Amino acid sequence: MLVFGAVWLLAGALGAQEPLLKTAEGFALPQPGRKFEFPRDHGSHPEFKIEWWYVTGHLYAAGGRRFGFQATFFRQAQAQSKAGEESTLYQHGQMHLAHMALLDAGSGMFLHQERLNRAGWDAEADETTLAVRNGNWSLKMIRPAEQAMQLRGTVAGEAKFDLELIPAKPLVFFGKDGVSRKADGPTAASHYLTFTRLKTRGQLQWGDEKLEVTGEAWMDHEISSSQLDPEQSGWDWAAIQLKDGREIMVYRMRRKDGALDRHSTLAWIDAAGKVQHHGVDQFVWKELSHWRSPVTKANYPIRAEIQTVDPSTGKPLHLKLEPLAEAQEQTGAMGGTAYWEGACRVVDAASGEELGAAFLELAGYTGDLAGQFR
Amino acid sequence: MDGLILLLQRFTFRHWRQAPRTTLLLGLTLALGVAVFLSIRMANRAALSGFSNFTELITAESDFIVQATAGSLPEKALLDIREAIEPYAAVCVPIIETTASPPRKEGEPSGLSQRETFTLYGLDLVSLQNVSTAKGQSETVAEGGLGNLSVLGKSHAVFISSRLAEHRGLKVGASLELVMQDQRVVLEVGGIMPDRDKSVRVPETFLLMDLPALQRLLGRSGQLDRVEVILEKGKLGQQARAEVQRVLETQGEARWRVSTPAQRRESASVMTQAFRWNLGILSMLALVVGLYLVFQALDGAVVRRREEIGVLRSLGVEPRTLQHAWLLESLLLGVAGGILGGLMGWVGALAAVKLVGQTVNVLYHTTHTQGVSFTLEDLWMALTLGMGASLVAGWWPARQAARTPPAQLLTRHLPQPVGGGRWRKIWPGLIWVALAAVLATLPPLRLEGGGRFALAGYGAAICLVVGGGLLAGGVLQLMGRFLQPLARWSAAVRLAASHLRRASSRHRLAVAALLCAVAMTSGMAILVGSFDRTMRGWINRTFQADLYVASDGAQSASSQNRILPATWRSLRDQPEVEDLNVICFQPLQLPEGETLLAAGDLGFMRRHSDMAWMQKPESEEIYDKDRNAGLCLVSEAFSERFRKRRGDEVLLPVPDGVRKLRIAGVYSDYGNERGTVIVDRVHYAVWFSDESASRLAVQLKQGAAPESVRAAWLQRHPGLSIFTNGHLRNEVMRIFKQTFAITYALELIGVVVAVVGLGMSLASVLLERRAELTTLRALGMSREAMARATMLEGVFLALAGTVCGLVVSVALGWVLVFVINKQTFGWTLQFTLPWMAMTVLLLLVVGSAALVSWATGRWGADLPADREE
Repeated sequence: MLVFGAVWLLAGALGAQEPLLKTAEGFALPQPGRKFEFPRDHGSHPEFKIEWWYVTGHLYAAGGRRFGFQATFFRQAQAQSKAGEESTLYQHGQMHLAHMALLDAGSGMFLHQERLNRAGWDAEADETTLAVRNGNWSLKMIRPAEQAMQLRGTVAGEAKFDLELIPAKPLVFFGKDGVSRKADGPTAASHYLTFTRLKTRGQLQWGDEKLEVTGEAWMDHEISSSQLDPEQSGWDWAAIQLKDGREIMVYRMRRKDGALDRHSTLAWIDAAGKVQHHGVDQFVWKELSHWRSPVTKANYPIRAEIQTVDPSTGKPLHLKLEPLAEAQEQTGAMGGTAYWEGACRVVDAASGEELGAAFLELAGYTGDLAGQFR
Repeated sequence: MDGLILLLQRFTFRHWRQAPRTTLLLGLTLALGVAVFLSIRMANRAALSGFSNFTELITAESDFIVQATAGSLPEKALLDIREAIEPYAAVCVPIIETTASPPRKEGEPSGLSQRETFTLYGLDLVSLQNVSTAKGQSETVAEGGLGNLSVLGKSHAVFISSRLAEHRGLKVGASLELVMQDQRVVLEVGGIMPDRDKSVRVPETFLLMDLPALQRLLGRSGQLDRVEVILEKGKLGQQARAEVQRVLETQGEARWRVSTPAQRRESASVMTQAFRWNLGILSMLALVVGLYLVFQALDGAVVRRREEIGVLRSLGVEPRTLQHAWLLESLLLGVAGGILGGLMGWVGALAAVKLVGQTVNVLYHTTHTQGVSFTLEDLWMALTLGMGASLVAGWWPARQAARTPPAQLLTRHLPQPVGGGRWRKIWPGLIWVALAAVLATLPPLRLEGGGRFALAGYGAAICLVVGGGLLAGGVLQLMGRFLQPLARWSAAVRLAASHLRRASSRHRLAVAALLCAVAMTSGMAILVGSFDRTMRGWINRTFQADLYVASDGAQSASSQNRILPATWRSLRDQPEVEDLNVICFQPLQLPEGETLLAAGDLGFMRRHSDMAWMQKPESEEIYDKDRNAGLCLVSEAFSERFRKRRGDEVLLPVPDGVRKLRIAGVYSDYGNERGTVIVDRVHYAVWFSDESASRLAVQLKQGAAPESVRAAWLQRHPGLSIFTNGHLRNEVMRIFKQTFAITYALELIGVVVAVVGLGMSLASVLLERRAELTTLRALGMSREAMARATMLEGVFLALAGTVCGLVVSVALGWVLVFVINKQTFGWTLQFTLPWMAMTVLLLLVVGSAALVSWATGRWGADLPADREE
């Protein structure tokens, strides 16, 4: 889940050749071999410039009703704030952006909303455990022993949900030695922690309709201080949950010259939670068809085929990602960047068999993303 | 119907074509009456429709407003509010609000209400952006200019209105110097506020800053004035309305109170209700006098066209058809006058709105005058008023035209009608006067929020004027008799005396109208005179300190600029200071209504001023800060408004609960009509955790020259306004007079209309006397002598109207001072007759009546016996 790395992409200290401990602004950089402690490391890391908690999932209600949801909480430090100058209720050194979205797959109705607050009275991120809030949207670890989380919120004044998320598989760390690289630049990296499968249950209210829902979710927690390279124009990312208990996390970093960045990757997570990374030359991301946004006019390749090799069989596997609805765009009035983030079904391109569900993220289709934020 | 149309074409329209000026005058008269009424209505609306909620202007109207029960809302309450409404789709907007004014220019003397007052809002500029998205607005605030978050962390960045930017040529990065609290502060324009649309522009004097930056500048870190709660647009957001209100109210307990913007507007509207009604009633007066003019004019037209009516009747035209034709003519005039009056009213409103706005700013609260709009509703009202007035005024002349037998109409030598018998009797007048006396004893109408309206008082005033008008007719005969001995000196006097002895209903009406206008004007002069004298006495007794200090930014009644503790302490420690009173004002919401809390050193008041008491404290306890924690003083207005007397209890809301205070005394105060509760500042400072001051009263040591101390202090503190005793007294009186400016303007219109009406009335009379005038000319009477006779007649009519008006005005003044004023404002005034003003009024009215009637007489003297117009 990288989109926000670019949304919040800001020039860090680029250009240094030696491994760095800090950016020029004084923010920490991800270091290999970092020892994580939980639940503290589920919480906020203000020593890093950028951090987000991202949950997407698929919900099912009685009668075969299906929903997709997204909840993302971002934190970004504007600069290392000077202690004592800020009121605790208005800390403009820390900004919190959040996005919520909900899709009713049956009707195709898509709700989305975003919020921007500085840290303080209406947004906060705990440094001791997972507890992030933006307005009345919150994600909290409610039972640390089983790492059970609660996600609550309302979307666009039309819908409301209260979900409990319990990891069905252990936490995984993407990248090498706990550091996930996104570009060649010494600062373009993150700590990338993910619960790839969370059993989800709770209540969903849409208008007057109140539903009990169950389903599965995916949660990323990414910590960095600068992720992207100025030569990158955008990225496509997908989180695929297969019915056989395995998952795939895949992203391709698109460069301005049309090539793919060599740090693009595809990771298989087996049923036990073990991660196997495939490099940029070991998978293919094929665009199948596009959808043009009537709001931003961006032309998103919302249907894609991921061609990889199934590590369990050693045979090629072509997975088609088919969106549950075309219009799943976050139009980005506040964050400044529009992107498409949508629930998809995953189909075997050869047999047509439905193999699982996915969330697909397509960013950088409304202009030069990296340039826009520099 | 055909007959009616034929009559209109041949009869009415022909006359209009033949006498276009008369027709135009008639239309204009009607239009003037409509215009005065409408202009005040429009000006009121424009001046008072100022937006009470800033968010309404730039994003959307709030659903709830959360305010502290007293004083500031601690900002920690935000966390509780957010937690309380967490399950609901709602956005919170914390706000701090203050006023600021541009600093004095070089060499400009200190003054009150002379410079514009800016309202400065501190909002969380980041969270504010959530309001637009929550409301589903396609154009977000961010796109409009407030999204410039680079201002965050800049301590002096301010967003200004596009109008201010246009008028002053201010661009982003420009400087704007203001007095905030007691400091001169140079702000930097960080952006231009977007207008939501062209019809709802952000008022020029609205400024916006980031909340924490403004808090710091004001020295009010940790404090909020209110939190506005906005429900999100969708179904869930709107369904939660009742639930959110309930939760907020329950969680608030004694800490905060919850209101809706509608309630807030209503509360502001209650504050100015009496003021608006008073203005409305005064403007109605102009309409009534206008109505009288139309009546005169239509009646005159009937007189002028008597013979033609007679011919039509002889030819068999039904009286009913004739009456309808006349009424239709009135109606057409009404439509024309209504439309014209609407337009004139709009023009008048443009002029009046500034005056109304100024008065409201001085007396009540900061208002941001909106542009005067002319709505469809206004047009409809103008037409209704125009047509209604013309039908009412035309009814009697139409009836006369229809009912008078043809033979009488065709005869020029019949005596003029002297009017119905009932008009010549004394008893109807006496009944009206008696009714006035009864009404004057009735209590006011009590409005919600502690407001009062002297309905019976106004009724008494109207009865007095009507009664006086009826009785005044009798005076004409007395005058005629009085003139008789003088008649032998001149034919003109003889002629005038004979006409007065046989005064027609037209004469009586002219006198009644003049009486009405003069009585109202003079009555108001008595009220203002009484006010003036009382105020002077009160100021002399109360304002006895040598220097008065306020923030230079405090330019209106509702200015919130404070003097910071460090500033007043440094002044207090000056060697030339003998004693200093730190005075603090705080608006206060009692369950019964809004009032004002004042805190000061009560001992200082005892030592240095001579308070005027309605109910004097029975012991010295109230002046001793060690013993007065449970005591308070209240103003007369408070006592009247909330019906509390000495010894009664006042439940005073303070930030940590409610204080029970006993009223130790009731004092006279003419500062505000909402009423004031005074407590000792030492207790206030503890209860409200507030050490700042709204005003300082300074007693200097013997030998210290106030002017030089003032100059030295101003040098050191350019953000302060410092008044010497005499200067402050003059300023208070100047503002006091300014508030009566509209009243005078309206009264003047009434007098002008009445004098014009007198001229028209005389013209009708002369037309009726064409035969007599011809005979007089044949007998050798010069035109000059005939004009003099008419002038004398006019002068005596004016004298009768004015003298009787002045007599009635004394009674009316009494009602205004002791009934209407007392019931509306709760102020006891000393009754004073402003002899000079009354004499000037008499001379002015009689003088202008002489001129008008002489001119009419000259015109009448040339009238041929057979001319219609």
